[in-house]
Amino acid sequence: MSRGRGWRAAAAAIVWAVLLGFGSLASTAFAYTAAGDRLFPATILLPQISPGDEFYTNVMDLPSTPSGIGTPDHQTNLNMVFAKTITDRLGVFVEETYTQLGRVGGGSLNGWQNFDMSVKYLTVLDLPHEFLLTLGLDREFGDTGARRVGASPSGATTPQIFFGKGLGDLDVGYLRPVAITGFVGYQAADSRPRPDQAVGGLTLQYSIPYLQSKVQTLDLPEVLRTVTPITEFLFSTPAGQSFGTRTTALFAPGVSYAGEGWELAVEALVPATRATGRGVGVTAQLHLALDYLVPDTLGRPLFSAP
Amino acid sequence: MSNDQRLLARLLRHALVAAAALLLWSAVAIAAPAGTVIGLSGACFVDSGGQRVPLKIGQAVQVTDTVEVPADGKLKLRMADGSVVSVAAGTRVTISAYVVDAGGQRVSANLSLAQGLVRAVVSPMGQPATFEVATAVGAAAARSTDWFIEASAGAMQVGVLTGSVSMTSRATGRGETIPARWGARLEAGRDPVPARLWSPAEFQAVISRTDVP
Repeated sequence: MSRGRGWRAAAAAIVWAVLLGFGSLASTAFAYTAAGDRLFPATILLPQISPGDEFYTNVMDLPSTPSGIGTPDHQTNLNMVFAKTITDRLGVFVEETYTQLGRVGGGSLNGWQNFDMSVKYLTVLDLPHEFLLTLGLDREFGDTGARRVGASPSGATTPQIFFGKGLGDLDVGYLRPVAITGFVGYQAADSRPRPDQAVGGLTLQYSIPYLQSKVQTLDLPEVLRTVTPITEFLFSTPAGQSFGTRTTALFAPGVSYAGEGWELAVEALVPATRATGRGVGVTAQLHLALDYLVPDTLGRPLFSAP
Repeated sequence: MSNDQRLLARLLRHALVAAAALLLWSAVAIAAPAGTVIGLSGACFVDSGGQRVPLKIGQAVQVTDTVEVPADGKLKLRMADGSVVSVAAGTRVTISAYVVDAGGQRVSANLSLAQGLVRAVVSPMGQPATFEVATAVGAAAARSTDWFIEASAGAMQVGVLTGSVSMTSRATGRGETIPARWGARLEAGRDPVPARLWSPAEFQAVISRTDVP
């Protein structure tokens, strides 16, 4: 890490820590993912929008654009995330991704991506308005993954802001089950030639459980009653000198099916830029809510009110 | 007397003894109070057999009694099985059924919550025995747990401190299980709202409302 880059990352972390501290003083918010009667399902492409006690794993398969013999034409990722609440509002996430790159001309490369960890603090939770705001700080530890599958020798630090908003408090009839979530962040690389990047994403979702329990109970088939159709959109674009890195953008329409304490989601992956991929892929995720399944042990904050 | 007649007579004798035992057990169950007042503040009343009388510490309450807690009152009952029911201000609850066997084990317990908030610390039993609270829009049942149930116009909500509670919609018949530290709402004519984690502040609010000094 160069000295200047390191100071910038440290300064960003300090500013964010101050904001987190300010948030804890300024807010009277509660501390959970759901905002009132609104539950935001776990996302696949986007990071979760608030701290929680959860474990989830997803697999993603996406054709990529090769640039010649021996270059990747296919990427498969197996991703695992464990999240733990420290207090009712504060949580940490640890993430590992195993990648397989299929190459033009045969053969594949396998290996881990860089180890990733983040801290999130739920700053605002407005129950009546189904709104929440979370501040986060993500740290990718450089040179902890395999360079052959694209893991960078340089780490990066990303301050992030997450939000979720349901329309249930508005007089919009059958649109009340609609919710929007998203995040933005600035990924500051530790050293060149890795570029800094602006990252972000949005989801648009329509909660059938919300429709059934808050708007109009329809005589739907059992399997549809707990489904939430969702579309995710994720992008990243270089900020400043790109060093050859290009903008990526990915749409992912799909559905999330919720059981008691678990969710299963399946989404198509539709690249919006050539740098993102060259065809439609697919991803699926199993999400376990540990705070539901084991509420008295692993599923409770390390420090919380009795 | 033939062998068949003797067998029939013996069966009849056993049936009579069993019926007598059942009647005796039922009489004991009916005669025993469903619970006793162990905490009280404000002018609480019980509506018993059409008579409305003030409640006092140590007073027994019976099955079919309705207790009324005014806006400035609170009430705590120790039930016959050892469960403790705390009733918040502005609550009206009826003891619809409370059957305890001779060993003090709960057989069944049914409360009807017309409005207001109740905290139930339900004693564990050696046998399967539910503790159910019904409202206008649905019902919630537990076996051994510490939980809250609140009824308001057109809705109910349940919060669970320990154990788990099942909540079922009267209109749709759909239910869900609510684990410790979670809560859920139910609106009239709808499926239950998916459960969510309750914050400590939310629990503290219902604890203080049902905390009888």
